[in-house]
Amino acid sequence: MEVAAVPWWIWPIALFAVSFAIGIVAVLAGIGGGVLFVPIVGSLFPFHLDFVRGAGLVFALAGTLSAGPPLLRAGMASLRLVMPLALVGSIGSFAGALAGFALGTELLQTLLGVLIIGIALLIWRSRSADSVNVEADALGALLRLEGEFRDPAAGVSIDWRTHRTLLGLAAFAAIGFVGGIFGLGAGFANVPALNLLMAAPLKVAVGSSALLISVINSSAAWVYLHRGALLPLVVVPSILGVMLGSRIGARLLASTPAPVVRRLVIVVMLLAGARALSRGLGLWI
Amino acid sequence: MNDRALRELYARWLDVATRAGFAISLCAFLVYAGGLLPAYVPLEELPRYWSLPVHRFIEVTGAPQGWAWLGELAYGDGLNLAAIALLGLVTPACYARLLPALIATRDWLQAALALLQLVVLVAAASGLLAGPG
Repeated sequence: MEVAAVPWWIWPIALFAVSFAIGIVAVLAGIGGGVLFVPIVGSLFPFHLDFVRGAGLVFALAGTLSAGPPLLRAGMASLRLVMPLALVGSIGSFAGALAGFALGTELLQTLLGVLIIGIALLIWRSRSADSVNVEADALGALLRLEGEFRDPAAGVSIDWRTHRTLLGLAAFAAIGFVGGIFGLGAGFANVPALNLLMAAPLKVAVGSSALLISVINSSAAWVYLHRGALLPLVVVPSILGVMLGSRIGARLLASTPAPVVRRLVIVVMLLAGARALSRGLGLWI
Repeated sequence: MNDRALRELYARWLDVATRAGFAISLCAFLVYAGGLLPAYVPLEELPRYWSLPVHRFIEVTGAPQGWAWLGELAYGDGLNLAAIALLGLVTPACYARLLPALIATRDWLQAALALLQLVVLVAAASGLLAGPG
């Protein structure tokens, strides 16, 4: 069936179903979901990339807003850790959203494809580190970037603190910028930055990443709204789906085997990234 | 204020605001998709335009930019943009609730961070720096 011949109401239903599934997987994988949503919807649905990027940003915002309360209550998201990083990240995201509207569609599609494939490889190659016995640096100590986390799955209580705070701040400004350009939540980069660079425990990194996205994307979402790039028929079914899905994902987070989710996410991202790249290069429209 | 109390306060506000945002978005979308209000760009015609870049879409349909959607709340699509905007206000609302709690406990550094974050979010929401392109 030709895309043009499909009744309009099929698309919001399909968006809801896809977003619900992404919402569950995104929280389990510690990603915002935009990194799956933008390439999948950009490749398989008929909407222009401008609207998909706008929807992707609000999608990641809605999903992480919804996942926030259970993550905070479980101690998996640290407000003290999130507040300074979200501040620089939201400035970067705002600037990135403005920059994204200055780039051509083909260039954006190509860069998106390269980025998504690169992220999939990064997730595949990256290892988690639970080195919680680091010495806090002066800025980290001043900001009191530390806490205690009870891990019900492992049955242990972890006292943690972070280090390399300045590098962390710079990383989150850059991550916010890239996320703002492409309408991504950028959790793919948040988790390694928090865990590998700053030495936050993995589950605290995953939980805090979700809360970070909810703050960072709040600033860039307004750019897309003011530029007219939020199409309600695309955005609302997507956010309703992801808000329901991510609530379920947040509840499953403590007990789900992360490697299975990780492998699934990598395969989907490689396929979606290849599709975005081929569209950007005009090889497969 | 200890970390647990801070987290609980933020979580409580986030929970209520997000549930309200979810309910409002759902109602607004049912009104829109169910045709209870007219749409600024009729739903049946939307597939002809949604593959256009946003600047062309606005040229062809006359869809609102900036804060102009506030004047289109009688339309289903304008109403939904308002619901989406409410989601953009959830985080500022949570930070606004956190700020007096941090000040009351003389947690000056965290209070300064919360205030700066509010300034950034309000500046973004105002559209002064990111208005119509």
